[in-house]
Amino acid sequence: MRARDLAYETSSALLANRARTLLTVLGIVIGIAAVIAMTALIDGVKAQLVGQLGLNMSRTVNITCWPPGNQPLDQDDIEEIGTALASDYEFVTGFTYTSAQASSSTASLEYLNITACEPEYFQAMGYEASRGRLFDAEESAEGDMVVVLGGSTVKNLFGSPDADCVGQTVRIGSSQYTVVGVVNEGFTYDNDTCYMPAETAVTRLIGQGGYASWQILGFAREGSDMYAVADATEAYLHDRYGIPWPEEDQTSFSSDEGYVYVQTAQALIDQLDATTATFRMLALAVAGISLLVGGIGIMNMMLTNVTERIREIGLRKALGARRGDITGQFLLESVTICIVGGVIGIGVGYGGAWALAAVAGSALGSMMGASGAISPVISASTVAVATGICVGIGVVFGWYPARRAAKMDPVESLRYQ
Amino acid sequence: MTPAIDIQRAWRIYETAAGYTPALRGVSLTVARGEFLAIMGPSGSGKSTLMNILGCLDRPTAGSYRLEGIDVTELSEDDLAHVRASRLGFVFQSFNLLPRATVLRNVMLPLVYSDLPPRDRELAAWRALRSVGLPEEHYLHRSNELSGGQMQRVAIARALVNDPSIIFADEPTGNLDTATGEMVMRTFRRMQRRGKTIVLITHDPEVAAWADRTVHIRDGKLFSDEEERRYLAELAEREERGEKGGDAAGADATATEPSATSAGPRSFSPAAPSARRARLLGVPAL
Repeated sequence: MRARDLAYETSSALLANRARTLLTVLGIVIGIAAVIAMTALIDGVKAQLVGQLGLNMSRTVNITCWPPGNQPLDQDDIEEIGTALASDYEFVTGFTYTSAQASSSTASLEYLNITACEPEYFQAMGYEASRGRLFDAEESAEGDMVVVLGGSTVKNLFGSPDADCVGQTVRIGSSQYTVVGVVNEGFTYDNDTCYMPAETAVTRLIGQGGYASWQILGFAREGSDMYAVADATEAYLHDRYGIPWPEEDQTSFSSDEGYVYVQTAQALIDQLDATTATFRMLALAVAGISLLVGGIGIMNMMLTNVTERIREIGLRKALGARRGDITGQFLLESVTICIVGGVIGIGVGYGGAWALAAVAGSALGSMMGASGAISPVISASTVAVATGICVGIGVVFGWYPARRAAKMDPVESLRYQ
Repeated sequence: MTPAIDIQRAWRIYETAAGYTPALRGVSLTVARGEFLAIMGPSGSGKSTLMNILGCLDRPTAGSYRLEGIDVTELSEDDLAHVRASRLGFVFQSFNLLPRATVLRNVMLPLVYSDLPPRDRELAAWRALRSVGLPEEHYLHRSNELSGGQMQRVAIARALVNDPSIIFADEPTGNLDTATGEMVMRTFRRMQRRGKTIVLITHDPEVAAWADRTVHIRDGKLFSDEEERRYLAELAEREERGEKGGDAAGADATATEPSATSAGPRSFSPAAPSARRARLLGVPAL
């Protein structure tokens, strides 16, 4: 039997019994829509979480290293480390935290948390300016008096989060700085932050040789195995500073012996995956049950179909149909129903996910630790898996009726009334 | 040239809840190529069983069957399907057309299972339909819009479309009036003239008269025309003697069933008709 013949037989058989076909398709639509809606919602929550944590840069490595003898890293050390690890990283950039009193023309803050960093820091963290711009390499090198504010700082210094602050001046410590932009940190921390060039902070706030604990952000080369990069970095730092490797179950570290702590965003994302996987399993179990019901609907329909067409099966066999021809004909009917149901179900599921997100998205999100509105995410792999499931259901639940048809005795089926 | 059909000492025994029921008891039959054979028998005589075996829809429990020289008893189910698709055509009493499909689609149905490329199928269907004399305006009608005679002609066209060498027809006129039946029979004659072997099953002597040769089947055994006439004569004679013969038959039925078995497959013993045989022929058994 040729493909064209099969297609003709299938379409004419399915169209001959429109109502029944439609109802069976509906069963699959509901099942697949449930799978897609759940997956899209959970992926949406996950994307939200990743975005909030500023971890959409999965190539970022957070390196904390405390050499032995209570002597923190300085910027020269970081430069050397960057050179040594150049094969693993596109760049490494140092940053440190400090704090100072700050004020605008209208309000003042007792503690402004200041991150002293290079422009690469923003790239590694995946931060972008929500207004104005971030400071650039030239300003950073020159130690210009510029500052980028975090969301809550804008609110607390200028009255509202949307206040027009770009181009304004703020006093931090004893100097005046120009606000060049507002950074979107993803998460809306409520802990008044700002970012200024490291050079500026060292000159104006920390003081040359002043006490600062420098940390490192590394941005791994594209396509790196993040775990391998982290391991190599850890090994290098242990070796460079002669820091002893921690014991298996060691939880506290002494600054006398020194310590190395290398954390990749990948590890955090994996951890996030593990969390969402639980929800995914739960949601898929529910969706799976509705798919099972849809599948049973298909089997039921196909069994009725076979019984109704026993004489036709007998006739076809008498005219020379092989078992495989009959199996193929009936199997294609059930697979077609599933694929049609699946395609519609993917659309309905995606729409349903948006509807669900609007109604209960933030509740679901906060259950998993995300905040704010959830945008459902539908990925190519979800669609591929759903399509695969459809074909699978069609084959699994269509197999028994199709084989039953194929094994019928032509004599008996021709005689069947 | 090998005969179209050569079946020897074929038995078909059905397993039923009541035990083993033989439907064919050592049937031997040879049909030459191009012959038009009628198989006659009352219902329950085993003629459908014989037709199913001859048509490769069923296999004999024992015995040999060569179809155009091929030993079909050795073939797998799928190989038998191929034999049916390439060498055989079937015409059924109840037509067995797909009601919703067009006439043309119905006729093309066997070609779906043949090796004929799709582009040649429609032409083959047209030729077959023209050869059975169905007017062209019906070709695109749905088959359930046709009259009985037209339906049977479509069914014959379907049996012809794969250019088979043997056509089996099971009571092809059973659901038709006399005039239409005659037209159908004339179509079969025409097919025979074109070299097809035709095996026709019927219980109607007038239909059987169209064939070159008639064989009779009773209780799973075949008899020639002459044997059948002798049997019927004996039967009539016994009826003249009165009910005594019937009583004897009834008494005999519980004893050894077919004495014919011991007397050889083709012989016939009117002295000991089985109760069933008597009943089927309208003779009171008890």
